[in-house]
Amino acid sequence: MGKMLEYIKMALKNITANKGRSFLTMLGIIIGIASVIMVMAVGNGTANAMNSEVQDIGTGQIYVYCSEDAQNAEEWITPEDIEAIKEKVDGIDGASPDDAASGTTVTGKGEFSITLTGGTEDSWKSLNYNMKRGSYYTEADVQEGNRVCVLTDEDAKRLFGSDDVVGMDLDVNVSGITQSYRIVGVTQQKANGSFVSYTYEGMPVTLNVPYTSFESFGWEMDEFYSFNAFTADGADAKKATKDLIHLLESRHQSAGEDYYQIQSFQDMLSEMNSMLGIVTTFISCVAAISLFVGGIGVMNIMLVSVTERTREIGIRKSLGAKTSSILMQFLAEAAILTIVGGIIGILLGILGATGICSIMSSAMESTIHPGITVSTILGATLFSCAVGVFFGIYPARKAAKLSPIEALRRN
Amino acid sequence: MEALIKVKNMCKVYNPGENEVWALDHVNLEIQKGEFVAIIGHSGSGKSTLMNMLGCLDIPTSGEYYLNGKDVSELGDNQLSEIRNEEIGFIFQGFNLISNLTAIENVELPLIYRGIGRSERHKLAMEALNMVGLEKRIHHKPAEMSGGQQQRVAIARAIAAKPPVILADEPTGNLDSASTKEIMGILRSLHDTGRSVILITHDNDIADQAKRVVRILDGKIVEDYYNDEQVKE
Repeated sequence: MGKMLEYIKMALKNITANKGRSFLTMLGIIIGIASVIMVMAVGNGTANAMNSEVQDIGTGQIYVYCSEDAQNAEEWITPEDIEAIKEKVDGIDGASPDDAASGTTVTGKGEFSITLTGGTEDSWKSLNYNMKRGSYYTEADVQEGNRVCVLTDEDAKRLFGSDDVVGMDLDVNVSGITQSYRIVGVTQQKANGSFVSYTYEGMPVTLNVPYTSFESFGWEMDEFYSFNAFTADGADAKKATKDLIHLLESRHQSAGEDYYQIQSFQDMLSEMNSMLGIVTTFISCVAAISLFVGGIGVMNIMLVSVTERTREIGIRKSLGAKTSSILMQFLAEAAILTIVGGIIGILLGILGATGICSIMSSAMESTIHPGITVSTILGATLFSCAVGVFFGIYPARKAAKLSPIEALRRN
Repeated sequence: MEALIKVKNMCKVYNPGENEVWALDHVNLEIQKGEFVAIIGHSGSGKSTLMNMLGCLDIPTSGEYYLNGKDVSELGDNQLSEIRNEEIGFIFQGFNLISNLTAIENVELPLIYRGIGRSERHKLAMEALNMVGLEKRIHHKPAEMSGGQQQRVAIARAIAAKPPVILADEPTGNLDSASTKEIMGILRSLHDTGRSVILITHDNDIADQAKRVVRILDGKIVEDYYNDEQVKE
C-alpha cells in the first residue's frame, strides 16, 4: 500500500511535469465521458418528465374503445356495461364514459370557447387533480343528470377573474341550446407539461360535467364509442383488462370478434420509455466510440512517454525498481490521466446537460431536469478508470520489460 | 574471509555465431570488502561490460559471479533488481539523475524501491546529502545544479541505502578538473570510512588514486596491482 502510494505520487509528478501534454491526452476522455453523461442525463431527464406527466394523468387508467369492426349500435358500449364492469370486474374500482361537447359561454370577462367533458363521479381519477374549492360532482348528480360542473382555478380566473366561484352559475350554449351549469368544485391547475398535458394560451375552458347532463341538450346518452376504466391500487392490471374485455364480449355476444380494443397508459409509458431508451443507447454508443478513441489517445501518448523516458526507466531499474514497480508507475499514470479526465468530463457533461435541459424546458414551456444519478457518475468514473488501465497496460508492460542496460544506453 | 566479489571464468559473448565478439574472455577476479579498486582499460577493452556484470545490470554468457557470498550469475530480472537495490550503489558518468525530481527525491529513489518508510527515507537521504555537502540544495532540480553538484547528488543516491559496493563508471568523465578533484576526494573518503569502491576509468591519473588497479584489454585482465606496494602480477 505504501509503495502504491509512492507510485501514485511519482505518476502525479510526471503528469504535472508535462501539464500541456497531459491535458491534451485527457481531452479525448473528457469529450467521451462528457458526451456519454450529457446524452444519458438529457435522455433520462426527458423520460422522467414524461413519466411524471403520465403518472399525473394516472397510470391505472385503461382506455377502452370500439374497433372499426364494431359498426352496429348494439355493439357499442352502454351505461349498463359500465356499471357491470364496475361491479363485476376484480381490480376495477371505477369507470367513466369519455364523451365531450363543444360550446360557448359569455361572462363579464367576454365570450369563451368551452369543452364539456362528460363522465361519471369516477372521472376525477383520470384528472388526478387536487381540489381547491368545493367538491367533485357525485354519483347522485350523474344518476339525476344534474347540470353541475368542476373546472380549474385558472379557467375560473379566466371566466370570472377569481377562483372563488363555487355556487355560481354558468350559461353554456351547445348547438344553439343554452343550459345553466352550477359550479360545484374548483381544482388546482397543474404545472404545465410538454408531452401529454400541454396547455396553451386561448385554449377552450374545460368543464367536467356528469355525462347524463348532456341529455339536456337533447342528446341520447345510451351508447358510447369509448370509456375509461380505472384499476385499483395494487391490482393486477393485465388480468383486470382481460376480464373487462371478456365481460364486454359476453354482454354483447361477440366473443373473438375483437370489437373492443384497449390502450393503457402504462403500456404507452413503457413504449415511450423503450423508444427513448433505444435512442439514448444509440447516442451513448456513438459517444462511447469517442471514449474508445480517447483511450487509444492515452495509449499513444503513454507509448511516446515510454520511448521518451527509456533512460529514466533504465535509471530506475538500475536503482532497484522491479518490473512490477515500473508497470505500476506507468499504469498509475494512465489511470490518473483517465480518472481526472473522467471527472472533468462528468462535470462538463452535467453542465452541458443542465444547459440543454434548460433550453429544452424554455422551448417546450416545461420543466426538464437532467437525469443524473449516482450510479451514472460512479459508472462513468469506473469506466474511465478501466479505459486507463486497459489502454495503459500495453505501454506499461513495454516500459517494465525494458532491460536496464538497454534502457541506460538510450539518450 | 569470504570475498565481497568473486568472479570465476566469466565470459560475455555478443552475437554468438559467425561475428561473435568476446567482450569478456574467462575473467577471474576477487575483490575484498573495503577495497578501493580501479578497473582501467581503453575504449572497447571490455571494462564497461565488466562493470555491467559486476553491477548485475547484465548477465554473463558463462562463468560464475558471487556477490557478498550469493551466486548472482543466473538470477531472474526481479531478483537482480533486488540485488542492485540492496548490494550496489551506482555512480554513472552522465550522472543519470531524473530531471523532474529534486536532489532529495532523486536520493530517496532507491530507498523507495527498498520499501523504507517516509521519515526514515528522509533521514537517510539527508545524511547522504550532508556527506557530499549538498544539504542546502536538497530542493534543487538537476538542471539548477552544476555538473559537479549533480555528480555529488548521484553519489548521495548511491550511498544513501548503505550498500556494500559502490560502483562508479567514469564518474569524472563529464567533469572539469576542479569537480574531478572534488568527486575523487569524496570517493576516497567513502573508502576511508570502510566502503568498497570500484571505479571504472580509462584515465591513468584517476586509476592511480585507487589502492588497487585492474587493467583490462580485449576482455582479459592483463594487470592487477596495488598502487602503494606497486605489486604487479
